[in-house]
Amino acid sequence: MGKILLHSIRFVLFVLVQVLILNNLELRWGIYPMLYPLFIMLLPLEMTTVPLLLVSFALGISIDAFSNTFGLHASAAVVFAYFRPVIFKLLAPRDGYESEVEGNIYEMGYRWFIYAFGLLLLIHHTWYFLIEHFKLNELLMVLKKTGLSVVLSFVLSLLVQLIFVSRNKSER
Amino acid sequence: MNRISLSHYFCGMRNLIAFYLRFRIFLVFAALQGVALYTYFTSSEFPKLQLLTTTGAFNAEVLKVRNDVTKHFNLENTNKQLEWENIRLREKLRQSVYRVEKGAISIDDTSFKQQYTYIPGTVINSTFDKRDNYMTIDIGQISGIERGMGVFSSRGVVGVIHYVGTDYSIVKTVLTKNINIDVMLEKGGAFGLLKWNGEDARRGTISGISNDMVVKKWSKVVTRGGSGIFPRGILVGRVEKKGFIEGKPLWDITVRFSEDFRSIQHVYVVKNLMMQELIDVEKHIPAPVEEEDL
Repeated sequence: MGKILLHSIRFVLFVLVQVLILNNLELRWGIYPMLYPLFIMLLPLEMTTVPLLLVSFALGISIDAFSNTFGLHASAAVVFAYFRPVIFKLLAPRDGYESEVEGNIYEMGYRWFIYAFGLLLLIHHTWYFLIEHFKLNELLMVLKKTGLSVVLSFVLSLLVQLIFVSRNKSER
Repeated sequence: MNRISLSHYFCGMRNLIAFYLRFRIFLVFAALQGVALYTYFTSSEFPKLQLLTTTGAFNAEVLKVRNDVTKHFNLENTNKQLEWENIRLREKLRQSVYRVEKGAISIDDTSFKQQYTYIPGTVINSTFDKRDNYMTIDIGQISGIERGMGVFSSRGVVGVIHYVGTDYSIVKTVLTKNINIDVMLEKGGAFGLLKWNGEDARRGTISGISNDMVVKKWSKVVTRGGSGIFPRGILVGRVEKKGFIEGKPLWDITVRFSEDFRSIQHVYVVKNLMMQELIDVEKHIPAPVEEEDL
């Protein structure tokens, strides 16, 4: 029960931060930092794929409702959720994951987090910008935007964890 | 014999279930993806659900609160713009004009009929660095806004009304994929369609101007007023660059927008009082008949 409450509060916070702050940064070269994939990343590891997809869809559509993207974020979030179990399986430790842990940087270690989240974020951003442009002759711009935004989103996600996820609580 | 076929049967069953479970995930994924992409691609033509746009009652309220905080950063700039516009309009008033032929002029009011009225609105949310940039303004159905009306600011053309909510509406700005606004060169009158390629929020292109037309650098580009969305002559920008398109007898014209989409606060929505008349008249244009090639 406490877990559901925690993730619900996180849901609202991630939407608000994305919509009220990150959507309005308007950086140059079309850089668009997206923090909400981190929410999907931090959902419990034991969560099965179908609920994961549904929650991600809800998250994406909530962000769409505030940014006039009409389903673009929902689509990208669902892609992220669909690939999460795949990537997690690919990078599983030798003796499997412990249940009851969260895929954050302290529990799983830097190396694992950088690989897993980096890959997923790359898939997410590529999908987002591909669908947004949807024109073959703008491919170069898609690549540029994806490359630059992924770096910023990743750094931002790292910082958020370093600041807000308390290490002691996680180590138990 | 019986046993073997039974275990075979169970094995097949298990595979089927495993396959089904695997497939179920993909099925849910495909369904959600389908919904998301469908709303995305149809909404860029015509949004249906108010809840999913920034005109939703709750969404708009949240954005309005944010705008109430951030709008003050631009206040000085905004005031200056409005001041300039006032000066420009004041200069056109009768009291600022010296009458050359005293007593000779009487204005016959019946020879002028109001065609356009303007509805002022405030921008509460906007972007300029996405591929399709929309803007939310704080006037909607209640103020008489309709889909397809033109939007401009004191600096120039902004876009077209894309979706109307009860109290808010969404503007499809010039910075979108298929904006295609009718524009012309103020001198010479050559006309084409305004387009945006997604790269620079300060520059767009005009397509369709034949390269035997004279196009001067820094000449003004204004609206053509063709489809009754904008009055004729609202500033769009100036010609910054022109070049040849390979293989086509057209100019490749780059326009520098007079509007700065990075800082729009107040806009006007154009209401054409004679729109119905225009539509009725244009109904009589015969549909193009496709002639058979001989």
